[in-house]
Amino acid sequence: MNVFRKILDALSEADVDFVIIGGVAARRTDRHGSPFDLDVCYERSSANLERLTKALRPYHPRLRGAPEGLPFLFDVETIRRGMNFTLTTDLGDLDVLGEIAGIGQHPQVLVFSESVEFLGRPYLVLSLDGLIRSKRTAGRSKDLEALTELEAPENSAGARAETRRLPMLDDGRML
Amino acid sequence: MTAEERERIIELINHPPPGSKIADAKRYGIDLTPLIRRLELSPSARLEELESAQQFLAKFRAAAREHR
Repeated sequence: MNVFRKILDALSEADVDFVIIGGVAARRTDRHGSPFDLDVCYERSSANLERLTKALRPYHPRLRGAPEGLPFLFDVETIRRGMNFTLTTDLGDLDVLGEIAGIGQHPQVLVFSESVEFLGRPYLVLSLDGLIRSKRTAGRSKDLEALTELEAPENSAGARAETRRLPMLDDGRML
Repeated sequence: MTAEERERIIELINHPPPGSKIADAKRYGIDLTPLIRRLELSPSARLEELESAQQFLAKFRAAAREHR
């Protein structure tokens, strides 16, 4: 089974609140290349941090690119003290972000997300509007180049699906 | 991949020689750290993973377009 699918299954089965962002979300329009890792924006309530750590614990999450032996424990306290983590796991590479440049944290990201029914589950995915906003803010050469495709005529104006405004509770969780 | 080779790759990615292609890629905005796990796979496993990712992304793209 595919790396992305395995990670998405692990998160979904643990009921983690997250939105698919980054390269996978961008591939709805970009037909070139393949992202190496999956990026998600997670919700930062204590309950969700518990679910997130429980979902990944069996797959030994560790910091990607860190020297061997660097002590690291992906637990609730670690996540609470940090924000964005680039991880490698036994399933594959995963970036878990608490905040996206140009958009904010999970409640704001929800506003720029849409539900896509995929492989038998509904997944929240960052919308084109959200992708454009985040890439414009990040402003690296790679991001600015990606904007060319994201803002192509066939993806913009009437052709682009409007960001679906999902009903939310006060704490940002979906109804 | 030996532990020594792995450490060397991590060092190169984290501190690329100035003017190198790795330094250029980092400056461009590419996260090179996923290469570490990929290089630990055999060439055939790498290819299988790439093909599998392409199939996954094609299905995702079709689902996203259907959603419009």
